[in-house]
Amino acid sequence: MTDLRLTLDGLHERHPGLTPALGESYSEAACVCFSRHHQPPVTLTLSHGTTDELRVLNFSVPDARVQNAHANETDATETGAYGVSLAALEAVAGLVAVRRAETLTGADWYVATNGTDSEDLESCIRLEVSGMNAGTSADIRRRLREKVAQAGRGQSNLPAIAAVVGFKVLEVSISPMGDGA
Amino acid sequence: MSSWAELHKAREEAAIKAEAISREGNTPQAMLLYVQAAELEHQALAAIDPLKIRTKAITAVSAVALWYKAAAYERAEQLAYSVLADPSIPAFARKDLRDLVQAIWTESSKQAANVGFLPGQVLVSVKGGEVITGGAPLDLIVEKVQTIQAMFYRTVEFIKDLPLRSRGPAPRDIQEACRPWLFQAAPGSYQFAVAIQEPEQLDFFSKQLGPELVAQQFFNILKATASSDPQQLEAVVPKAEYRKTFLKLSRNLAPTGKNFESIEFRTPAGGAPISLTTEARTVINQALKRSQPVTAESADATAEEHVGTLRAVDLEKDWLDVLIAGHALHVVGLEDAMDDIIGPMVNKTVKVSVVRTAKGVIRFRDIELDE
Repeated sequence: MTDLRLTLDGLHERHPGLTPALGESYSEAACVCFSRHHQPPVTLTLSHGTTDELRVLNFSVPDARVQNAHANETDATETGAYGVSLAALEAVAGLVAVRRAETLTGADWYVATNGTDSEDLESCIRLEVSGMNAGTSADIRRRLREKVAQAGRGQSNLPAIAAVVGFKVLEVSISPMGDGA
Repeated sequence: MSSWAELHKAREEAAIKAEAISREGNTPQAMLLYVQAAELEHQALAAIDPLKIRTKAITAVSAVALWYKAAAYERAEQLAYSVLADPSIPAFARKDLRDLVQAIWTESSKQAANVGFLPGQVLVSVKGGEVITGGAPLDLIVEKVQTIQAMFYRTVEFIKDLPLRSRGPAPRDIQEACRPWLFQAAPGSYQFAVAIQEPEQLDFFSKQLGPELVAQQFFNILKATASSDPQQLEAVVPKAEYRKTFLKLSRNLAPTGKNFESIEFRTPAGGAPISLTTEARTVINQALKRSQPVTAESADATAEEHVGTLRAVDLEKDWLDVLIAGHALHVVGLEDAMDDIIGPMVNKTVKVSVVRTAKGVIRFRDIELDE
């Protein structure tokens, strides 16, 4: 039977690339972002390919301390989007975070099928995440199209997935990038 | 000797800590952790089985990026060149490494420029259409730079809660205190960075108006102008007259799709970039239409749209001339048209919206670039 819940708690227990502290930080930031617009629980739409899946997500309403820790909206949206994207990818594709690699402007997460050998990155897929605090559904789809088009124009021969999280509209749009798109 | 996996894992922990501390503003401590992370990733690179091409490539990019973040530009450059010299490195990593090398050059040239730059730069890239990697039509870039500069000045005026400037350039103290410079940035299209020169009057940027705040607010405003949710812009810019001005400046930046496809803005701290595309332009136009006051036109007045070359503007005398197929269309009643919005359009193809009255007077409604 399919589990129709999406869980942010204990991300590090399911994603070997995450430390407990980082998983907790992703989860807290996501709760802050959702609580700006909603009360728990919420129903998220996970869109991938031609499929839309509905998942119920129960989040903790953050106290003042957690709110203050994630007071920077840009950082909180980005961090929260990582948590929600990883939970969503796990739910729809069975992919989990295995490694993080630095880039010029931040860091990329690499995901792989649960149980993949973590001794290297040979079969890993790059995950590119984008978060939107208050965009509409049209904004989410547009951001995803832009990311996919961007990769299509580049020379990337590394498999990659883009995920865009809309906290206000409760949507996560996921698409392969580049040749696989 | 530790394995790649052990070193890579230790590096991850140091880099995550460095990022968290950097966000708290403790730059010296963050730098030390970035150096530690870079050393570990460099060792991890040496420990990889050379047949694991993809792992080697990702680790190499990661190590160069960490040296760059640790401001160890020479180490970063040396490592980047040595990896690029390896013919087995795949294309995705070559692209990332070239971007890093260019970013390293930009930072090195800033150090050598003998001019102080404040934190809070904005990276801009123009893509598609006539734009190629590292090259773009001069007039296109000059016009975008003028508009970005105008938007920076307007952002400072907005933060300082000054009344909306309807005519003339920004006050001299703002121009001098916040002089944007252009730096070549990482390629991939035509890219540049806008950095703010350290002002001679050092107390200009108070705690309430730091250069990071100017860059962040510039970024927030731009993002909100391109959102289909009007509440976003209202939240960032509560004053209606400033909202309209920012929407018009943002529309000047967004592509029509004829010369280029998108213009992207990001801050070096990372986060999602803002991309203005033709779709964003449509969204901005819709927002501007909503903000247009309903004017009582007589029943026989007709709304018209014309495309031509903007040949002359006189904001003081309240008219502009658009040349259409050799004939000048004289438009009056410019109302809230502003120098920094309309100025970069002179001698360019524009679309002007007007109302022709029964007496034949052509009154201005709106103007936008059409190229």
